[in-house]
Amino acid sequence: MNWRARSAFLATVLAFAMTAVACGSSPSSGGGGSTPKGSITLAGFNFTEGSVLAELYGQALEHDGYSVQYKLNLGNREVVSKAIESGSIDLYIGYAATDLEFYNKGAGEATGDAAANAAKLNGHLQSLNLQALNPAAAVDQNAFAMTKANAQKYNATKLSDLATVGSQLVLGGPPECATRPFCKPGLEQTYGIHFKDFKSLDPDGPLTRAALANNSIQVGLVFSSDGDLNSLGLTVLQDDKHLESADNVVPIIRSAVATDEVKKVLNAVSAGVTTNDLIDMNNQAGPQHMDPDAVAAAYLQKHNYFS
Amino acid sequence: MDTVLSVINWLTNPAHWSGSDGIPTRFVEHIELSGESVLIGAAIALPIGIVLGHFGRFGALAMNVSNVGRAIPSIALLVLAFQIFGLGNVPIIIALTALAIPPMVTNSYVAMREVDPDIKEAARGMGFREPAQIWRVELPLAVPLVMAGIRTSAVQVVATATLAALIAGGGFGRYIIDGFGQQDYTKLVAGGVLVALLALATEAALSGLERLLVPRGIRLLSVPATKQVVFKTA
Amino acid sequence: MPTGLFLDYVDPWINWDWLSRHVPVVTSALVQHVELTAVAVGIGFAIAVPLGVVAQRRRLLRSSILTIFDIFYTVPSIAVFVFLIPYTGLTAVTAEVALVGYAVLILARNVMVGLDAVPKDVLDAADGMGYRPFARLIQVELPLALPTIFAGIRIATVTTIGLVTVAALIGWGGLGQLILQGFIESFHTPLVVGMALSIALAFVADLGLASIQRLALPWSRGG
Repeated sequence: MNWRARSAFLATVLAFAMTAVACGSSPSSGGGGSTPKGSITLAGFNFTEGSVLAELYGQALEHDGYSVQYKLNLGNREVVSKAIESGSIDLYIGYAATDLEFYNKGAGEATGDAAANAAKLNGHLQSLNLQALNPAAAVDQNAFAMTKANAQKYNATKLSDLATVGSQLVLGGPPECATRPFCKPGLEQTYGIHFKDFKSLDPDGPLTRAALANNSIQVGLVFSSDGDLNSLGLTVLQDDKHLESADNVVPIIRSAVATDEVKKVLNAVSAGVTTNDLIDMNNQAGPQHMDPDAVAAAYLQKHNYFS
Repeated sequence: MDTVLSVINWLTNPAHWSGSDGIPTRFVEHIELSGESVLIGAAIALPIGIVLGHFGRFGALAMNVSNVGRAIPSIALLVLAFQIFGLGNVPIIIALTALAIPPMVTNSYVAMREVDPDIKEAARGMGFREPAQIWRVELPLAVPLVMAGIRTSAVQVVATATLAALIAGGGFGRYIIDGFGQQDYTKLVAGGVLVALLALATEAALSGLERLLVPRGIRLLSVPATKQVVFKTA
Repeated sequence: MPTGLFLDYVDPWINWDWLSRHVPVVTSALVQHVELTAVAVGIGFAIAVPLGVVAQRRRLLRSSILTIFDIFYTVPSIAVFVFLIPYTGLTAVTAEVALVGYAVLILARNVMVGLDAVPKDVLDAADGMGYRPFARLIQVELPLALPTIFAGIRIATVTTIGLVTVAALIGWGGLGQLILQGFIESFHTPLVVGMALSIALAFVADLGLASIQRLALPWSRGG
């Protein structure tokens, strides 16, 4: 039995494996290659619009010669903010009011003025070595939807209508809705709506839509920039007491990578995007199942960012 | 240490012991989801494994089932079940049942194969018919390994039921997924602790059941560690 | 295609057009999956062998390690991944620490079981031939335990490939990232592709390791 020779062979195989292990210790290094302008890691939130916006700004940077690593569907703001503070990512596309109230820990500073929100947001970001760039005209804020049947049944067209019937209704939204000022706590304080229960689902994703459809929730968090709410038979309740503030799309970036050129590219995108553009793109990426990257590329093409 | 203390505080806080998001509710949900899945899985897997093992047929198939079981990403299975069957407990139970089956098929197959051929021969010599031979002679001898399969499967399903929270399911996984979303690490760790405790309790309960089921004469035959199939799908 | 039975829109299980345009995305997900798995099993192996060897010899250490392992093994991986974020961030390290942990559990157990199975006669004979303890371990015991250890490597590899998909929730999921995308966008193709490739990868890895085992250890009969 020549197991010595076999063992030697095995040892060689294992040695190779270990070398491969040693070399493969930075699993992110794939792709990219050498680019003159350096690499930017860009995260997207865990909903379709997050991917659309990440692609939109990311492709503009790529066109300008940057190598962009996409971390799409990374998570919610709670997760993404941790990632940018620790330097795991360099950039994400946020929303002025929600990010402001996130970084000021719900101090209630947000108003209907996008520029003011961005300026205050910058005040809070400075100590974290982050900055918010110019907000876009495009707005996407939290909205609350019911099926048309339920809206009729409970006679609700605006959020304040829910104050009296709230105790019969279940609210659905992403887990963080339970603790965020523009979601469940805001509905309680501003409108006095105390729901029968809260069901953790997702940010205006497949779970929320399915739960609204089978009536396991009656009120669901959706995004105002969704293109398909009407076609799904959903009604958005009017925010008559203005719980939601100016949630304009705004890039949030680590100061270390925010060179003048990067800022110029990102601000140029922000300067062009309107709420209708956003709704169009969401409509294509969501209900029509086009790729976020293709949708973003088509938009940039059409608006001459690539020329 | 701060974490340990805050988790203990969380677990002992009376506010977390009532309501639709309270520990008792989540416990019942978790038990329901995993219990039903293991029962349905056992009803499907055990007859297959036992019969195949008795006749010694399709051995490669029975063994490969366990490899397939390990290789299926449970998270994908849950999402797929949601996309096909929609929201609710049905897709969750279907996905968990699919995960519960492989260890039970493999272990019960091995258990029946391991029965001493002399004993089978003797049973036939004594005039036992096929079903009686399986039921009265082979199965009692195979119980320790069959139970090991059920235990493995149950513990794995209890742990994997955590992921059901990703498709809006209940159970202790809610604390983990919600704790993650809310960046409430105390809630998250408490959820992990509860799942682990439940899995260990499941293991202990099934070991107790096994002691009741195994005939006294063969109780000394404990299952060698090499025969057990290791599973970790979540 | 007979899809859409329960869905209100028709989304084919595989949209080949999407797939053809996303070969680089799928490839990089696959590469990340392989890297995460290889690193986890490799490091896990490097830790598990000495740990298993030491623990196999000391009854108390052995039983306490096995108990700790049994407990840790019941903790859902999603909880471990997320729990580590405050310490290691949303980095590959977070994913790897958990994956390495589970790999060590499987491998160390198999090292112990493999060493247990070495017949007492063989050990006595080796002692009689004048082997010192370390030489006996390296030249007699470990070679005899290799089939079991190798079975452990195969189980750990297949298990890790499955667990990597869960790490998608912290952004390091390899093919799990495609699964998550398919979920969030309600889009079958990335989900099906991620799932199919993950299963295929597990099979290829298992077959590959089995062939290596047959070549290197012809005295073992697979596992």
